[in-house]
Amino acid sequence: MRGRAAALTVAVLILIALSSGSGAQSLSGEYKIGVLEPLTGPLAGEGKRHLEGFEIVRDLINERGGVMGKRLVFAVADAPDPTAAASEANRLITREGVKIITGTFSSRLCGAASEAAARHNVVYWETSCVDPRFNKRNLKTVYRTEIDATGFGWYNVEFIAKHLAPRFNMKPNQLKIAFLSEDSSYGQGVTESARQRAKQEFGMQEVGLEYYNFQTINDFTPVIVKFKQANPDVVHHIGYSNDAPLFWRQSREQNFLFKALVHAGATGYGSADFGTALGNDGNGVFALLEPGPGFRLEALKPEGQKIERDFREAVQKKTGSYPRGGHQLAGAGLWLLKLVLDKAQSDDPEKFQKAVLALDLPVGSMINGWGVKFSETGQNANDRVQHYMLQWQNGQLVTVWPEEFTTNRAKWIPLGAWDQRK
Amino acid sequence: MDPARSLGPAQIEALAQLAVSTVLLGGIYALIAVGLTLIFGIMRVVNFAHGEFLMLGMYLAFWAFVLWSVDPYFMLVIAIPLFFLVGLLTYALVMRGVISASHNVQIFTTVGLSTALQNLALVLWTGDFRVVRPWHSTVVLRVAGTAFNLSQVVAFLIAVGLTLALFAFMKWTRTGRIMRATAQDREAATLMGIDTDRVYRFTWAIGIAVVGAAGALVAPLYAIYPTAGLQFVLLAYVVVVLGGLGDMVGAMLGSLIVATVEVVGSYFFGAAWKEVLYFLLFIAVLVFRPAGLFGQRGAETLGA
Repeated sequence: MRGRAAALTVAVLILIALSSGSGAQSLSGEYKIGVLEPLTGPLAGEGKRHLEGFEIVRDLINERGGVMGKRLVFAVADAPDPTAAASEANRLITREGVKIITGTFSSRLCGAASEAAARHNVVYWETSCVDPRFNKRNLKTVYRTEIDATGFGWYNVEFIAKHLAPRFNMKPNQLKIAFLSEDSSYGQGVTESARQRAKQEFGMQEVGLEYYNFQTINDFTPVIVKFKQANPDVVHHIGYSNDAPLFWRQSREQNFLFKALVHAGATGYGSADFGTALGNDGNGVFALLEPGPGFRLEALKPEGQKIERDFREAVQKKTGSYPRGGHQLAGAGLWLLKLVLDKAQSDDPEKFQKAVLALDLPVGSMINGWGVKFSETGQNANDRVQHYMLQWQNGQLVTVWPEEFTTNRAKWIPLGAWDQRK
Repeated sequence: MDPARSLGPAQIEALAQLAVSTVLLGGIYALIAVGLTLIFGIMRVVNFAHGEFLMLGMYLAFWAFVLWSVDPYFMLVIAIPLFFLVGLLTYALVMRGVISASHNVQIFTTVGLSTALQNLALVLWTGDFRVVRPWHSTVVLRVAGTAFNLSQVVAFLIAVGLTLALFAFMKWTRTGRIMRATAQDREAATLMGIDTDRVYRFTWAIGIAVVGAAGALVAPLYAIYPTAGLQFVLLAYVVVVLGGLGDMVGAMLGSLIVATVEVVGSYFFGAAWKEVLYFLLFIAVLVFRPAGLFGQRGAETLGA
C-alpha cells in the first residue's frame, strides 16, 4: 500500500515538473519571496496590474534559470491600506519565512510595509511607489528601483530645458514657467524638485505657483485668470484624473494660451482616462512616463533589447496589449531583483546590499531601457532609470523624447491656437 | 502684484470673468445644496450620503449617454421620478428605522449608507474616471472677452428654477405647510393628525430626487467616479449652514457666497486657501449666527 502511494507521488511530481515548461527542469527547489499589493479596495485595479507584471516576469525569470538556481515563487498578500500592508508584511516574514518582500504600487503603502520589513532585517524591494521620504529613513534593507517624485521633476525640467526651449528658439533662462500642482506628497515632491532645478540649474523665470486639493477643486477660473496675466511659456501641472481634464477644459474655454503643458506620472494627463475624456482636444499635452508606443528597441543595449522584447511579447500574449505602466514598473523591478540575486547568490542583507551597490549598468540595459546605479540610501539613480516624455497625439499617448529612443516626434511646439491642434 | 491696483482693460476683463465664474459655480453649489437643506430643515437629519446620490445621478447620465446616446438634459426628465423612487426605497429600508433615533445614530446610519453606496459603485463600475461629452459640453458663449460655459449656464438656470419652485411649494401649498409644521414641532403635528412618517418619506424622496437631477446636470462638467460626491458634499454643508436650515432661498444665496469666497480667495490668496477661507466663514456663522445668515434666530433648536 505504502509503496503504491510513494510511486503515485513520484509520478505526480514528474508530471508537475514536465508540465511546468522548458528550462524549469534544471532548477532544484523553490525560492519564495513575498509580494504585497493592494488587491482589494480603491487601489485594486492598479495592484492587480502590478501583480500581473510580477507574474509575467517571474515566468521569464524561471525560463532563464530562476534565481540562485531555484525556481522563483511568490507568497502573495493583499494590502489595501497601510495597516494591512504592515501586518501582512509581518505575516509574510514570520509565517511564510520570506527574506525578501516586493510591492506595493502606492505611496500610501510602501512606507508602512517597508518599515515592518526593516524591523525584521528583511530586504524590502519597492518597485513603484514614488514618495520622496521612502529612502530618507535610514532603513538599511530598503531599496527602490523606480525613481521618486523628485526624479520626475528632474526629468521634466531636463525635457523643458533641453528639448522645448530650443524648439521655441529660446534659451532656458528666457523661459517663463508657471507651476500648478495638487498638494499631496506626490504633487509637492515633483513640483518642488522641478522648481528648484528650473531656477538653480537653468535660471528659468517662475511666474506662478499654485497648489490645490485635487479632491475638492471645482473651478480653475481664478488660477487661469491669474496665469493668463503672468503669461507663462510653459505650464508645469501635476494633477489627478478629475482635476487635469477640468483645468484643460477650462483653459480652452478661457482661451488661455501657452506654449506647452508638462505633467509627470500615470495619473491625470498620464492616465488613459484623459484621452477618453478629451479625445483630439487633448492633443499636445506632455506626460513623463515609462516607454509607450514608438519606443525603439534598437536604441537599447543588446541584452536590454532581448529582455525588453521578450517582456513585451509576454505581456502582449497575456493581456493582448502593450505593457501598461504597472506591468512596466513591477516587471523592471523584479528583473532587477534577479540581477542582484544572481550577483549576491544570497539573501543575507549584507551580501545583498553589497551586490546592489556593486551593480553598475548603463541606460538601455534592461526592461524599459533602464540602467542601474544605486546610492547608499537604496535608491536607483535618476539618470539611470531612464524616463520618457509621452505626448497625446490624436487620442493616443506616444513616446516622443528622448528622440534616440523613439520613432515619433513631438508635435504642436509651440501649441498655438486651441482649435488648430489637429 | 495686486491686480486690483491698476484697472486697465485686461484687469476689467479678468474681474468680469471671475464674476461670471462665481455666479455659475454658485449655481452648481445651489443645485446640490437645495435637496440637502430640505432634508436637513424638515427631517433634522444630517444626510452624509447626499454626495453619493449625486454620484449616482452622474453615473445615470453617463450610462444613458454611453449605452443609448441619451443627452444628460433629457435624462433629467427620467432622473427626477427615478430618484424619487430611489428616495422612497432608501427611506423605507434605511431611514425609517432611525428617524426617531438620536442624531448620533442617524449620522452613523447615513455615513454607513454613504460608504456602502461608494463601494457599490466601485464594485459595479470600477474606480475609472468617466466623462460624458454631449455636443453642448464644449460650447462656450463669449460676451466681450468673457467666457460662459453653456452647460454651466443651463445648470445655473435650472438651479434657480428648482429653488424657486421648492420655495413656492413650501410656502403656498398645503403639503408644504404640513411639511413646515412637522419641522417646527413633530409632536404637535402628530396631535393635529399629520402623518409625520409620510411627511418624512416625502421630504426624503424629494431631496433625493433633486440631488439625483443635479447629478445628471453636472455630469457633463465633472469627472464621474465612485467618490465624486465627496468633492461637493462638504461644501453643501457650508452652504446649508450659511443659508439657514431648510431655507431654499438662503441656500441659493449661501451658494453664491461660498462661490464668491472660493473664487475671490483663490484669486487673491491662492487656490490652496479656498477651504481655509470658507470653513472659517462656516465656523464664524456657527458661532455668531447659528441659525444661518438669513435664518430666524432660534430656528436651529427646532425639533431637536
